[in-house]
Amino acid sequence: MTHAIFPLAFANDDIRLLTAIVLGFLFGFSLERGGFGNARKLAAQFYLYDMAVFKVMFTAIIVALVGLFTLANLGWVDLDMLYINPTFMWAQVVGGFLLGIGFLMSGLCPGTSVVSSASGRWDGFMAFLGITFGALVFMLAVQWVPGLEALYHAGSMGTVLLSDVLHVSPLVVALAVVVMAALGFIGAEKVEHIFQRKYGMVELTRPQRPTGKFVLVGAVALVAIVGLGLPTGPTTLPPARVASLAPLALAQDIIEGRPGLLILDLRSGAAADGGRIPHAYPATDPETASRLLASVPEDGTVVLVDDDGKDVTVPPAWPRTLHYAYLEKGFQGWKQDVLTPASPGSTLEEKQWAAWHDQITAFFTGTAVAASDVPPPPPLRAGAKKKKKKGSGC
Amino acid sequence: MSTQTKEPKEVRGPRPYWNPYLAGTLLGLTLLATFLVAGQGLGGSSMPKRAITVASQKVAPAWTAAHPVMGGYVANGQNPLHNWIVVEVVGVFLGGFIGAVSAGRFKVGVEKGPRISVRGRLKFAFWGGTIMGFAASLSRGCTSGQALSGGATLALGSWVYMMMVFAGGYAVAYFLRRQWI
Repeated sequence: MTHAIFPLAFANDDIRLLTAIVLGFLFGFSLERGGFGNARKLAAQFYLYDMAVFKVMFTAIIVALVGLFTLANLGWVDLDMLYINPTFMWAQVVGGFLLGIGFLMSGLCPGTSVVSSASGRWDGFMAFLGITFGALVFMLAVQWVPGLEALYHAGSMGTVLLSDVLHVSPLVVALAVVVMAALGFIGAEKVEHIFQRKYGMVELTRPQRPTGKFVLVGAVALVAIVGLGLPTGPTTLPPARVASLAPLALAQDIIEGRPGLLILDLRSGAAADGGRIPHAYPATDPETASRLLASVPEDGTVVLVDDDGKDVTVPPAWPRTLHYAYLEKGFQGWKQDVLTPASPGSTLEEKQWAAWHDQITAFFTGTAVAASDVPPPPPLRAGAKKKKKKGSGC
Repeated sequence: MSTQTKEPKEVRGPRPYWNPYLAGTLLGLTLLATFLVAGQGLGGSSMPKRAITVASQKVAPAWTAAHPVMGGYVANGQNPLHNWIVVEVVGVFLGGFIGAVSAGRFKVGVEKGPRISVRGRLKFAFWGGTIMGFAASLSRGCTSGQALSGGATLALGSWVYMMMVFAGGYAVAYFLRRQWI
């Protein structure tokens, strides 16, 4: 899918962040209009007399789901560029159940607590404070409560879609979700009436008008047309993006002890006899690799080292939350660039560079170098030194 | 009714909520646009986590950098708040505020069932929020980031998560009914 237009690429991160204000505004506005700024209306879902939570949520899922996979099927969206929540099965099972309990207690969820606060409700504000406090508790507990960090990583499966598990096209699953949601909507309308009478509670939404049903029928028809009209082959995730990393840049990362860095040596035993990069873990079988990957924090970087840096690919099962890079020219490149001293240059700049290079070489080969008479130059990682950006106004 | 003591819009009362299918359609289009524009879904619980990271960085920078969760937010010298979801949540607040005001629904007060005191309701809101903040950190997302956004991408774990949220809510609904009905 090389001609995909979406997701959009932005000239810089600040412009991308600007879109967050607009889309966040629409998010908050539609939540408010749906009644999600009102804790009573949200809690009513669990007492069955107003099921707006289910109706709004599943309508939204259907619209986005059908739109997304239809556009992906047309080749307009590159799903590989899209962030898709990786599966951490046990963390999600436990976290989901706990969040459901908290949802019923506060009557709000994290997003709607913001809307409720914005509507002037103190309970929304208290829920938001509680969420912040709860996140703090987690951040402390994950360090000191035994087993919690293991649970945080438990059931890691990487990016897995329902369609991967069911071995069908995502559009078929989309169609099934639409049909099930439609049946759910019909059921919800009936259930609401029964429980409104039972509790004597009033539905917090105005009575249904036919427009809702037309939207629904339209959506079903659209999916049916799209689902039948498009080829539905087996879907596999496209390979993860792998950036390249120069040996010297990696050397500097190791020296600086960059956090979240994992170096995996993919070479088999015989090839690795020529030595390994310090801090590199041998990862020749999938189980070892996935165990090591689970130790990398989110947004961490995994550097893959093979012999020559050609054709390095990331297996589809590896989590897409991590950044992957391959070592340029592989271990050969490491030997050439890092373990071999630089040839002394003639200009001052070249001399400085050679001195810097020799210090790195000395670090990894253990040979002492004479103190340099030229001052150490600034770090040379081209473009890798990120400027700290200012906060985004919150 | 004496219109002298009340503002005119108070007399008319808040406008009704939208038809849920209409609100859901707008929400779904917003989510779709988010995927297409930003390459990710919507979220709600990142902001507290990242705000805590900023505070933690001030207090214990080394501990924060080595933290299994927060370390990722500060890796490579990033600013934890320089993040799409954080800015989006500011937008959510603005959208919620404009939405409430324009529908005549902005009202300083507390939403609660008829059988619970205001103080009791606020306590429940806070401790329920605490559980949610803990849970959303554990599962890497909340109803917005996991159930809604992950659900729309058909992510397996997000669908399991969504079912578990409903299961958790229904499991305790009976015992906490005094708060709501």
